[in-house]
Amino acid sequence: MTELERALVALGNEVEFPVARDAWPHVEPRLRRRRLWPGVVVVAAVLAVGIAFAVPPARSAILRFFHIGSVSVEQVQTLPPAQTRPFSTGLGPKRSQPTVQLPAGLTVTAYYARPGLHAALLRYRGQQVLYAELRGDQMGVAKKFVGPTTHIDEVKIGEFGMYLSGAPHVLIWDQGNVRTRLAGNVLIWLDRGVTRRLEGPLDQAQMVALAREITR
Amino acid sequence: MVGRPLDESELIRRAQRGDTHAYEELVYAYQGIAFRTAYVIARNAADAEEAAQDGFVKAWRALGRFREGAPFRPWLLRIVANEASNRRRSAGRRASLALRAAAEEPSGGAAPSPEAAVLSAEQRATLLAAVETLPDEQRDVVALRYFLGLSEAEVAETLAIPQGTVKSRTARALERLRESYD
Repeated sequence: MTELERALVALGNEVEFPVARDAWPHVEPRLRRRRLWPGVVVVAAVLAVGIAFAVPPARSAILRFFHIGSVSVEQVQTLPPAQTRPFSTGLGPKRSQPTVQLPAGLTVTAYYARPGLHAALLRYRGQQVLYAELRGDQMGVAKKFVGPTTHIDEVKIGEFGMYLSGAPHVLIWDQGNVRTRLAGNVLIWLDRGVTRRLEGPLDQAQMVALAREITR
Repeated sequence: MVGRPLDESELIRRAQRGDTHAYEELVYAYQGIAFRTAYVIARNAADAEEAAQDGFVKAWRALGRFREGAPFRPWLLRIVANEASNRRRSAGRRASLALRAAAEEPSGGAAPSPEAAVLSAEQRATLLAAVETLPDEQRDVVALRYFLGLSEAEVAETLAIPQGTVKSRTARALERLRESYD
């Protein structure tokens, strides 16, 4: 260590840091609240579906509305019109340079990027899969409409994750000339402040394995 | 019978199984360094406190992905630093690091520590001012490495940059600081 480095260490001993309050009293209630959340969602959704069927005027109402990172999800009785389109819909032109960092073993066929969204098309287990990183400050980079028959499962990955399957849902990106399409099985998870999304014909275990490989 | 204190890896294992008491011990053990890390990045006490708290909550949720045997401190600090960076980007006023009043005006009776004796009050103020003029990326590395005492590897993990980048940023920062120090 040089004299300057020793001087910096000494200086560090003299720097005044503000006094922080104990973190635990502020952290602990949030641990319990979050752990309860998935159960609360399921109960709320079931109750909402039950009410919607029981009360005719409520049938077209929003059954559930929530956010995961930059994605907002509305569970509705009837999906808005949409059709099957390529994964690249709404992602803009292909990019020649990588826009997301992926492990060397994955086969990438195309990269995309636009403000708030970086994406790559992959081949995984012989299937085409879309991987996207959404970096919007808050919600609104993507919106999903899911029907009552779409399964929403909590997945233990990153800070919070959910796997949507069972029935196609409608995906609407926030930009692009054609922004709306039907989407299949999707894993969305929050990881180090980034909302990550995988879509493709993979089951939950395969999707989670790929997600772990990507964020490892 | 008095039980022995649990070691860190046991606390982590228990926390991974949902034991909040074990996690509480980890929070108490690391809240100081977590707050200071957040503060050198966000430069605002309220933001740093919030970043540290959010970091602890997110780390709890991410514990399932924590690799057994890996060092916990840099893993946690990376999450906290990320929270602090997000706040730095959106924050308005940012405070400068300051020296403790006692360091500026040592009391007559107390002998300075050997380390403190290396620098005069004026040199300390000059050097700290020079650190404050460094570009953010260099200042973060200097503050984490020398002020908070993180190792090079820990700085790399905390800032999510390669260790080589820590070395080069440190070298560039030291080069600039040498001009003020010499």
